[in-house]
Amino acid sequence: MAKIILENIAHTYEPNASNPIFALKEMSLSWADGGRYALLGPSGCGKTTMLNIMSGLVNPSHGKVFFDERDVTSMITEERNIAQVFQFPVIYGTMTVFENLAFPLKCRQFPEDQIERKVKEVAEILNLQDYLNNRAKGLTADQKQLISLGRGLVREDVAAILMDEPLTVIDPDLKFRLRRKLKEINDKYKTTLIYVTHDQNEAMTFADNIIVMDQGEVVQAGSPKDLFERPQTTFVGYFIGSPAMNLYECSASSKNEISIGVNSFKVQTNINNSKSENLKLGIRSEYITVENEHSDNSLEADVIEVEDFGNYKLITASFDSFKIKAKVKRELDIPSEKVILKLPAEHCCIYEDNKLI
Amino acid sequence: MPKLYTFLKYFFVVLWACFVIAPFLWAISTSFKDFNSVTGGATYIPWLQFEPTLDGWSVLFKPGSQGGINIIGPYFNSIFVTLTASLISIVLGTLAAYALSRYTFKAGIVKNNDITFFFISQRIMPPVVLSIPFFIFLSSLGLLDSLAGLILVYIVLLMPIAVWIMVDFFNRVPREIDETALIDGCNPFQAFFKVVLPNSVPGMLVAGLFCIIFGWIDFFFAFILTFTKVQLLPVKIVALNSSITPWWSLSAAALVSVAPLIIVAFIVERYLSKGNLSGALK
Repeated sequence: MAKIILENIAHTYEPNASNPIFALKEMSLSWADGGRYALLGPSGCGKTTMLNIMSGLVNPSHGKVFFDERDVTSMITEERNIAQVFQFPVIYGTMTVFENLAFPLKCRQFPEDQIERKVKEVAEILNLQDYLNNRAKGLTADQKQLISLGRGLVREDVAAILMDEPLTVIDPDLKFRLRRKLKEINDKYKTTLIYVTHDQNEAMTFADNIIVMDQGEVVQAGSPKDLFERPQTTFVGYFIGSPAMNLYECSASSKNEISIGVNSFKVQTNINNSKSENLKLGIRSEYITVENEHSDNSLEADVIEVEDFGNYKLITASFDSFKIKAKVKRELDIPSEKVILKLPAEHCCIYEDNKLI
Repeated sequence: MPKLYTFLKYFFVVLWACFVIAPFLWAISTSFKDFNSVTGGATYIPWLQFEPTLDGWSVLFKPGSQGGINIIGPYFNSIFVTLTASLISIVLGTLAAYALSRYTFKAGIVKNNDITFFFISQRIMPPVVLSIPFFIFLSSLGLLDSLAGLILVYIVLLMPIAVWIMVDFFNRVPREIDETALIDGCNPFQAFFKVVLPNSVPGMLVAGLFCIIFGWIDFFFAFILTFTKVQLLPVKIVALNSSITPWWSLSAAALVSVAPLIIVAFIVERYLSKGNLSGALK
């Protein structure tokens, strides 16, 4: 196990082009030993490239990769001692489940008794003990994915287990159980787990730390709470959370006050130093409250739709030419035409050129 | 509707089976006839419509001094040349195909697809175009009229088939299998031999089947590049022909020569069933 450090890493798949497009723009990032990370972002944002750089399947165009103090940039994949689980389960179809799980240990010439002991231990964790003598080809998709995962777990000294959207092929119920199992494995073995996904719920429920990527860049790294409450960019605000963050173009009226159309709102951000014209106010629908009468930071909106999701109600309303969404308790009675909504100052995020001030 | 569909399905399967089996039955029946039975109108049922005889068959095994052609030597020559050339073609073709499928080659404007096409282009040329270069080539090596020379030529002819089939096959084998093997601790050679190759047996069997068929049925090069010392089965069978076509012994020879292909097809068929690779990545 090791701390993984990416130092000034950048990668392009067309290194000889005059104006190459970078799948991964220059960045530095470190992954603590034993951490549980999620790499979150839309498809094509560079998540898999970053994972492949760590495992050595891709050599970065720029920068270095360190495992602890050791520079592994030019080291080939088999020497890095990384485990990687791909989106679709990869099994060795001609081998049994036992042989599949034992394969990484056999490649590293472990003694037979140690291989048997470790394979049985991992098979038990993954509930595969009854299938050890079966051909891996005949198993179900989720069992195959467990085998892929198991091949990573049999190696105790593995630097990290990288998982590239590993639960895509799994049923929702089993997905939940497998995520919990991964957490247990992380707790038990203290193996660094890096989990790539484009599903924010998966990332939020799995990881202690989430790295959000967009267009080859890391746009924010932090805990699920940080990402939810203080998105560093409008992209994170929009990408994380369901529904997405309410975002409005606004202008600064004074040091702590902004205007959206005719409405003014107090904020806790000092916007005096803002030079850009491109200001936006962002607020999560979870923090918007329904009021009976006007007060500071409230606005009157026309109700468009109220959806009952069982455990909450989602109000969609409009003010001026803007749409606003508010998540409220389902017991609350929502007027059918006009509603007074309050945007608490402490939850208003102000973005200058799409970056949080 | 389902009953009609089932009926039609079976009807066409039976029809097709008759279409395939009929020539064999015809050849079997003819091989047991004599001159009069063959020329005296269509007859089908032995003992009732014609008196069966082994004359057609015995010619194949009698030495030339007794009026036969003795195909045993050429038969084993054909088996040896075809199997050896096919085996070497499959081994070399599989390695070439794996490299073409997994690695990027570039020399000027020539890329992977061009190299693959170069291999296949060997089969596009009519055999007669290749005959003179092959003749000069083998002559300069002193390999004319030898098994080694024929094997060399057959490798040239069969390898494009192996490369063509195997490139397509490897392109369908997910790269993740190789990558997983690397991650699990194999070097690229181990990844190929321990993981990719065992998964590629169905593809190699298909390629092998095609190589054996094309090697076995070749008459042209066997005829051009051999004289008296070495003879292959197709050339020997042609020696049967005379002013009166001996349909009975030609039929027997046809059955004898097609038998190995039928046996190979039966062995390979069970490996060709759909889904041999499914499950490796799903």
